[in-house]
Amino acid sequence: MSTAPLIQAIQKRLRAAGYHDLSTPLRIAGVEFPFTGAMRGSDGRALDLVLLVDTTTGDFGDRDGERVRQRVEALSRALDVTASRYVVTLILAGAALAEGVETLSETCRVLQVENIALGQAGEPADETAERQLDDRIRVLLPLTLPLAPTDPENGSGPAMDQLIRALQQGTDKALLDAVVEASAVGEAAVTEAVAEVVGQFFKASSEGEPS
Amino acid sequence: MSDSILRSLDITNFRSIRGHIHAPLDAKVVLVHGENGAGKTSLLSGIELALTGQVQSLLRADPNYERQLLHRSAEDGSVVLRALNGSEQTFSTTLAPDGAKSDNGLAEPLAAFFRERAFLPQSLLGQLLQIYQDAGNDAGSPLAQFVGKLLGLDRLDALEAGLKPLVDVRNVRKAVDGWLPAENEKSRLDRLLNDQRKSRSAINDRIIAALAELATICAALDVGVEVQEDSLDAVSAALSDGRDDEQFATLTDQERRFAAIRREIGEAQSAASTDTPLPGSDASERYSQWEATNGTRVAAARARIEALLPDLSLPSDPVRLADEALTRLRTERKQLEDQATQARTAIVRRARAQDERDVAMRQRETIDGEIERLSATSGSLASALAELTSFIDDNVCPVCDRDFSEVSADSLSDHVHTKIRTLSASAERLLTLGRTRSEVQVTLERLDRELETLAALQLDEEALAALDRRRAAIDAVNTELDAMADALREGARLRSADVAARRAVSEAQSRQVSLAATRETLTSFATSAGEAGVAEGESFDAAVVRLSERFAAQTSRLQLRVSQRRDGLNKIAAIRTDIQKRQDADTQISADFSAWQTADTALERAQSLRDQGIEVRNAVDRLRSGIIRREFNDRLNRLWRDLFVRLAPGEPFVPAFRIPASSTQKLQPKLITEHRDGGEAGGAPGAMLSAGNLNTAALTLFIALHLSVPKELPWLILDDPVQSMDDVHIAHFAALLRTLSKEHGRQVMIAVHDRQLFEYLRLELSPAFADDSLLTLELTRGARRDSVCVSKRYSYKEETALLAVA
Repeated sequence: MSTAPLIQAIQKRLRAAGYHDLSTPLRIAGVEFPFTGAMRGSDGRALDLVLLVDTTTGDFGDRDGERVRQRVEALSRALDVTASRYVVTLILAGAALAEGVETLSETCRVLQVENIALGQAGEPADETAERQLDDRIRVLLPLTLPLAPTDPENGSGPAMDQLIRALQQGTDKALLDAVVEASAVGEAAVTEAVAEVVGQFFKASSEGEPS
Repeated sequence: MSDSILRSLDITNFRSIRGHIHAPLDAKVVLVHGENGAGKTSLLSGIELALTGQVQSLLRADPNYERQLLHRSAEDGSVVLRALNGSEQTFSTTLAPDGAKSDNGLAEPLAAFFRERAFLPQSLLGQLLQIYQDAGNDAGSPLAQFVGKLLGLDRLDALEAGLKPLVDVRNVRKAVDGWLPAENEKSRLDRLLNDQRKSRSAINDRIIAALAELATICAALDVGVEVQEDSLDAVSAALSDGRDDEQFATLTDQERRFAAIRREIGEAQSAASTDTPLPGSDASERYSQWEATNGTRVAAARARIEALLPDLSLPSDPVRLADEALTRLRTERKQLEDQATQARTAIVRRARAQDERDVAMRQRETIDGEIERLSATSGSLASALAELTSFIDDNVCPVCDRDFSEVSADSLSDHVHTKIRTLSASAERLLTLGRTRSEVQVTLERLDRELETLAALQLDEEALAALDRRRAAIDAVNTELDAMADALREGARLRSADVAARRAVSEAQSRQVSLAATRETLTSFATSAGEAGVAEGESFDAAVVRLSERFAAQTSRLQLRVSQRRDGLNKIAAIRTDIQKRQDADTQISADFSAWQTADTALERAQSLRDQGIEVRNAVDRLRSGIIRREFNDRLNRLWRDLFVRLAPGEPFVPAFRIPASSTQKLQPKLITEHRDGGEAGGAPGAMLSAGNLNTAALTLFIALHLSVPKELPWLILDDPVQSMDDVHIAHFAALLRTLSKEHGRQVMIAVHDRQLFEYLRLELSPAFADDSLLTLELTRGARRDSVCVSKRYSYKEETALLAVA
C-alpha cells in the first residue's frame, strides 16, 4: 500500500467513482505483476483495469520509465494470452518523460497526473485542485449530464412567471394579461391581442366625423 | 427510451453498395469497418435516407444528389431499416434512376432530430465549428434551433415575434384598427387649425391697425374716450355727436349772410365810386328790347340751374350767372361721372370676382373629391408591395397562393410593379392635390374679401340711374348755357348799361346812406358772428378780407372734423365686422381643437400602450437571452468541456461558447477557448488548438449538443470521426464511446477505416456485463462482384484472468 499522497488522492477519487482496489501483486497467467496500486471498475466499466505508477517515490522500478514499460508490456501480453478483454489504463502519478509516455501509449491508455496541490490528509487542497485532478483522470470518471431544464415540454412555467414578475410595474395589466394569454396560442394571436388592446382608444373616436 | 433500438438494415444497390447486403444492427455498439470506398458511408447514409427520406450531407454538396443514389450498374434499389422505437417499425425508401422515394420515414421533429443531433456525417465534422461560429441570433440559426429545442421557449418566442410589429410604426398602422385614421385625422386637424389660426391672426392684426387709426382720429377730434375694443360703443356715440354739423350749418348760414353783406358793400362802394356821367336813356331802351327777345330763355335757364344747384346763390348778372353756373356744373358733372364710373366698375368687377370665386369653389370641390377618392394609405401600401416583390418569383401570388395566370395573361410581377407605380403616383398626386388645395383656399379668401369691399362700393341701379339723369340734366343746362353765351353776354352788357344808368342816378343819391347802413350792417354781422366790428379807419375791403379768411378757416376746420367723424364711424363699423369674424374663427378653432385633442389623446394613450408592448418584448428578449446565457454557461459549456477534457487531457485550452456579459438583446455567442484552470480567455479555437484538437473540439461539440437536448432518439451514429490515430488519443475516445453506450444508454454506431483502430475499439467496447452487446460489420467490395457485409456478434463473457488473484 503506497503512502504517497497523490496516489492516495487518485485512489480515493476512483473509489468514489465506483472503482475498487485489487490486491497487488496481480497474478495473471501464473505470472505476478507488482504495482503501486491496481483498481477495477464496475458495471459498464467492469473491464477497466487501472494501474497506478508513482514516478516520484514509487517502488517496483516505478521511477524508471523503461522498467515501467517492460512491466506493462509483460502484463499486456499475459492478458492477451488469457484472451482477456481487460482494458488497461496506466496512471502515472508525478512527472514523466514525454517520450516515455508516448511509448507507453502504444500499449495502453496512459493518464498522467501531476502538479495537483494537496492538503495534509492527501486531499486536493481546493476546488481548483480537485477539478485539476478530475480533469486528468476524467476519462475514467462517469459522465454526469447537467440537469434537464424544468418543464422542457413548453418552458412556460418559470420563464413566464419571471417575465410577468419583471413587468408588473409600469406595464398596463390588461395588455400584459392579453399577450401572455395569447402567447400560448402563438405568434399571430399575440399580434392580434396587442392590436386589440392598443386599438381600444380608437373605438370611440372612430365614430366621429370621417376625415 | 431504452427500448428504442435500430434492428437491421437491408441495402440494395445504394450508392457504392452493389447488390444486396443485410446488416444486423441490434447491439448496444455497432462497429463498422471497411477500406475506403467499401461502403461505410453508404451504409450509414442509408440509415439516414430510410429514416428521413434525404441525405443531408449530399444535399449540401449537390441539390440534385438524388439521381446519384442508385448504384451505377443497377436499375432499381432499396433501403429498408427495421427499428424498435416504441414499437416495431420499418422505414424504407425505394430507389430509381431518377431519384429516391421514401415509403415510410420518421415524422418531422424526429427526422430533424436525427439529422441534427444523432448522425454526424464525415463531411459535417470539419464544418461543424464553422457552422456554429457563424451562427447569428436568427430564429433559424443552428444555435437558436438548439436553444429552442433545449428550452422549448415557445411562448417567449411567440411573444417576441408577436410583439415585433409594434416596433415599426408602419406595421402598427397595419395591425391596429383605427391607428392610421386617427393619425390622418390628427394631421388634417393640425393643418386646419394652422390655417384658421393664421386667418384669425390676420383678422386680429386688421382690428389692431383699425383701432390705431381710430385712436388717431379720436385724438384729432379731441374725443375724450379711450379707444379700445370694448369701448367702441362709447367712441361711436362720441363720434356721432352732431355739434360739428350744427356749427357747420350755422357757419354756412353766416356765410350766406356775409355774402349778401359783401354784395351790399360792393354795391355801395361801386355806387360811391362811380363818377360816370349819367348814361343816355337809350341804354334802358336797348335792354328792354334784348329782354323782350331773350328774357324768357334766360329765366328758364336760371330756373333750371337753381333746380340743379339749390345751394348756389346765383348772381343776377347773366354772364356771371352763366360763368359761375358752368364752373359749378362742370365740377358737379365730373364728380357724378366719377361716381358712376366707379359704381359701374364695381359692378363689373363684382360680377367677375363672383365668377372667379365660383370657379375657385368648383376647383376646390374637384380637389376635395379627388383627395377623397385617393386612398391616403397608397404610399404605405406601395412600399409594402415593393417589399413584397422580392418574394415573387413566378406567377404564384405569395399572399393567396393562386396562380396569377388564371386572372391575366401578364406576369404577376409586372402586375405588382404596375400597381406599385400606380400607388406611388397616387401618393405623389395626393401631395400635389394638398398643395393646390391650399392655394385655391387662399384665392377664395382673397376673393371673399374683395367681394365685401366691392359690395360697399356698389350702388343700386336706381341710384345709378338717378346719377345719370342728374348728369344728363347738367349736360343739357351746360349746352343751353353755351348756346346762350353770346346772347347772355350781350344781355349782360345791355343790362349793366341799363342798370348802371338807372343806378347811377339812385345810387348817387343813396350812396352816403347806403354806405353808412352797410357799415352798420357789417359791424352788427361781425359782432353777431363773434368777430370785431368794423373799426374806425378800417376799410371795408380789409374788414371783408379779414372776415372771409376767418370764415374760410372755420369752414375747412369743420369740414375736416365732419369727414373725420364719418371716417371714424366707418372704421368702427369695420372693426365690429372683424370682431364678429374673429369670434366666429375662435369658435371654430376651439371646436376643431377639441377634436384634435380627442385624436391626440387617443393616439397618445395608444402610443403609451405600444411603448409598453415594446417594453414587454424587450423584457422577453432580456429574459430569453438571460435563460439562454445560463443554459450555455451551465449546461452546454460544462458538458463540452467535460467531453473535451476526456479526449484531450493534456490540452490546457478548452473550447467554449462565450455569451457577451453585457445585457444586449442580441444573443451572439462567440466561439472562444478558455484556459482549463480559469484565467483569461484565449482566442478562437482555430487559433489556439492544433488540427487534431480542433477535430476533437468539433466531435465533442456534436456529442455535447446531442446530450444537452432531451433524448428523443437514443442513437449516436458517427461516420469515421477519427481520420488517423494521431488526431485523438484513441484510447480516450474509445473510453468516451463506452461511457456513452454503457452509462447513458446510447446505441452507438461508428464506422472506421483504420484497421488498428477497429481492433482497438472492438476490444475496448467489448460487452462488459450480461446484457451488453457488440456487433462488428466488415464491408468489402470488389471491382466485379457485389458488396459483402460480414457481421460478427460478441457477447458478454465473464472475465477470469484476475479471478485467481481477486
